[in-house]
Amino acid sequence: MLILTRAVGETITIGHNIRVTILSIKGTQVRIGIEAPGDVRVLREEIADKRPKKHPEKE
Amino acid sequence: MTHKELAWKAIVEVEQSEIFVFPQGMVGFPDTNDFVMLNSGHGDIVCMQATDRAEAAFLLTPWDEHRLGESPKLTSDQLACLQCQDENKLLWLLVLNPFSDVKWVSANLRAPVAINLDSSLGMQCIQANPKLDLHFQWIRQPDPAQQAAEAC
Amino acid sequence: MIVLRRKLGQAICLGDDIRIVVTKVESNTRAHLGIEAPESTPVHRLEIYEKIKQENCAATQGDALAWLQGATHDT
Repeated sequence: MLILTRAVGETITIGHNIRVTILSIKGTQVRIGIEAPGDVRVLREEIADKRPKKHPEKE
Repeated sequence: MTHKELAWKAIVEVEQSEIFVFPQGMVGFPDTNDFVMLNSGHGDIVCMQATDRAEAAFLLTPWDEHRLGESPKLTSDQLACLQCQDENKLLWLLVLNPFSDVKWVSANLRAPVAINLDSSLGMQCIQANPKLDLHFQWIRQPDPAQQAAEAC
Repeated sequence: MIVLRRKLGQAICLGDDIRIVVTKVESNTRAHLGIEAPESTPVHRLEIYEKIKQENCAATQGDALAWLQGATHDT
């Protein structure tokens, strides 16, 4: 895992078309802005874990 | 000849039809992945030309350890991207910019290019060290008056 | 832009293979973000990515091959 330190207002690039920006920090809570193409699913991890897995035969 | 000299020689003598694949393209050119080497016969510089985009032509010259110190190092992930088992076999190249300054051709030390000649894969690798200069004065621009005189 | 609030230790998933986790928060000023992505996906600070992109564009703004051929006319 790569760890990058960013201040409020700063941005990370992931691949060529994803941008992740620190919008604000309050206590231990961080507001994060994600810019990604429409076909990239953006999910909170705790939701991602609960989504039904694709049935293998359908792929 | 050192390994690096052999690797550079291999690049300048490569068949023009041999394609080098940059899976991530070059920075700012992410979808430009296939390149050929065009060499005009000048020993230290090749022109790496994209096969599907005429303006994406990069002048490259080998990393010079005498001037710059040891060549950069890659992470194991990056080595895997290049299908490289032996880091010593990589050819490190610098992108030259002859267009921004009238007196100097500059070299971008901060984002050198690594090529694995065995796999024909390449990658531009942004370096973490902020002291590496994007506009390192590499060689003086050729003298246009002299060039004009020789052209006659 | 999609805006999500995450606390220390919480994560965001992008697509199938990218994960961003808040690993540390420093007094309302800075956050440490852990990025998990495939080895083929480059991750950079935006400002350096933009600088390199600009330099690559500057290095290709003219006809590089023509310059090379002109510069080596005498060899």
